[in-house]
Amino acid sequence: MTSLVSGKNDNQIWAAIIYNFRLPKAITAVLAGAALSVSGLQMQTIFRNPLAGPYVLGISSGASLGVAILVLGFSSFLTNHSIHYFGNWTQIVAAWTGSALVLFLILAVSLKVRDIMTILILGILFGSATSAIVSIFQYFSHQSMLKAFVIWSMGSLGNLSRAQLNILIPCIIAGLLLSFLFSKILNALLLGETYARSLGINIQFSRIMLFISTSILAGSITAFCGPIGFIGIAVPHIVRILFRSANHYYLIPGTILAGGIILLLSDIIAQLPGTDITLPINSVTALLGIPIVIWIIIRNKKISSLS
Amino acid sequence: MSDIQNILSIKDLTIGYLSSGNALQPVFKSINLKAKKGENIAIIGRNGIGKSTLLRTVAGLQKPLDGKVYIKDYDIKHYKKQEFARLISFVSTEIIRVSNLKLFDLVALGRFPHTGWIGKLNEDDYKIINDSIYQVGIYNLKNKVLNEMSDGERQRAMIARALAQDTEIIILDEPTAFLDLPNRYEIIRLLNELTVNKGKTIIFSSHDLNITLQEADKVWLMGKNEIVEGAPEDLIINKDIYRLFDNSSLDFNIEKGDFRLTRKKVNKIVLSGSGIMQFWTRRALERIGYEVCDEDKNSTCIQISEQNNHTVWIIMKKGDKIICNSIYELTLHLRRI
Repeated sequence: MTSLVSGKNDNQIWAAIIYNFRLPKAITAVLAGAALSVSGLQMQTIFRNPLAGPYVLGISSGASLGVAILVLGFSSFLTNHSIHYFGNWTQIVAAWTGSALVLFLILAVSLKVRDIMTILILGILFGSATSAIVSIFQYFSHQSMLKAFVIWSMGSLGNLSRAQLNILIPCIIAGLLLSFLFSKILNALLLGETYARSLGINIQFSRIMLFISTSILAGSITAFCGPIGFIGIAVPHIVRILFRSANHYYLIPGTILAGGIILLLSDIIAQLPGTDITLPINSVTALLGIPIVIWIIIRNKKISSLS
Repeated sequence: MSDIQNILSIKDLTIGYLSSGNALQPVFKSINLKAKKGENIAIIGRNGIGKSTLLRTVAGLQKPLDGKVYIKDYDIKHYKKQEFARLISFVSTEIIRVSNLKLFDLVALGRFPHTGWIGKLNEDDYKIINDSIYQVGIYNLKNKVLNEMSDGERQRAMIARALAQDTEIIILDEPTAFLDLPNRYEIIRLLNELTVNKGKTIIFSSHDLNITLQEADKVWLMGKNEIVEGAPEDLIINKDIYRLFDNSSLDFNIEKGDFRLTRKKVNKIVLSGSGIMQFWTRRALERIGYEVCDEDKNSTCIQISEQNNHTVWIIMKKGDKIICNSIYELTLHLRRI
């Protein structure tokens, strides 16, 4: 720690560990926490559903489908070398495409079906459908590729190189910026479509922009770190309760901060300090997030009427 | 007076929906109506006749199937979204439940069409928001969360939001639904105040016929096939009001100005007495199926009188005398006969 602060390289190995592994991992955790939480917040506001989030609505499953098609499906066409060469970008584009696909499916349904619970159930069904397709890919794919995909799907914050961070950082900043730009519209969407339209909002345009923001945020995190669950649902609720507000001018910065902090904490827990074991990050966030979601459901019995 | 400009005029309007396959599903045809600045207009009509559809069409939330809606002599379809949002605000029947939404933040949403992209509020905006909350009489709840309010307070909050939008026309879909009687009167009185003090034009739908006929400046009455407009008194005098009760057991009493269920009156009864006691006793008798008439030797007779500073009802039938201490007791005895 002192060597980090003083800048003296007493121990070259420690410094290398911190600069090349721990620091990128911490930055990834903060970015992923912020991105997933903000995309969860946006989904909860748009769908006016407290249980909405990138994971529940199948956006992460869509991203897995994209990655599965890339890693498992095209592995026979692409040489190992070309995957490695295009890797950074192809994986992220595949995850984006997959998540955007599911998102627009849900959007199309939500234009026809007004009932929030129906949309939520359809989101879960889309998620299951994509998982089924992913299973088919897994069944027919090569062993080494299968392992690469399974490891990706368990979620990890530690696999990013500096170069990959250089791609992730601008993506997340762009997604968050879009979210900040739409804070006013998100506030108006709280009251539902009728009120939003009577305030002069172009609903279609706003929804599409917010869906793009969400798929950039959730899609790129899922592409690099794998699907990380429950952060996106739980953090916005924690922030709403802490701030006692539904105003997105406060909620968005609050969610970014809280999301970053909570995923960083989850990562520390996942390292199991004092031991050599590292747990999959997904398990830790689920074990932290599920009690919060249960508490939300029990506290507000009318699930369809909160957000 | 007729030279006051019509702020809103509806010409040959057909309202309704487009079903799948773009087939027209008209709800109501050939609507022609007008509204002047500062009028408090009530839409009345049976359930499902198309009151909400009409309001939503005028508020620009759904497209007319045919015909035109003009605001200040411009067809509403030519207005830009933001421009239109500064002309008409809308309060729906939907109960908004957003956890942790503060009253101030809710009302601040009304400033939406007046602020820039980022939505920063300036001093004027703050003043308008605070004034709006004050106007509807819930300033003490300014920092309260919407979920902790009663239905009446929440409806006031939604009206405050519409006020903050600072539009000349406010449209409300059943603003008195879900409210108790005092709250209904107060909400309608609030709407009246807004027309008088602020010059707002208010159009609302309602099922509260008694309140509406007393308080509205003008009524748009949606009958079975046509819609008529006029002062509530005109509609009563012209008997247009009866269009509301085709085949229903409700009847309008033109002398008293209220609504009663039409009842089968089987037995005749004679009632003596006067004043308030006579009025309410008569109501009770009519409720249990008696027709009150003048002297009739064969009928039962009820006499209201005082005994030891206490009102009693005496049932006299063929020489028998039963003394009752309350109207309830009276009705029990009469049912037994």
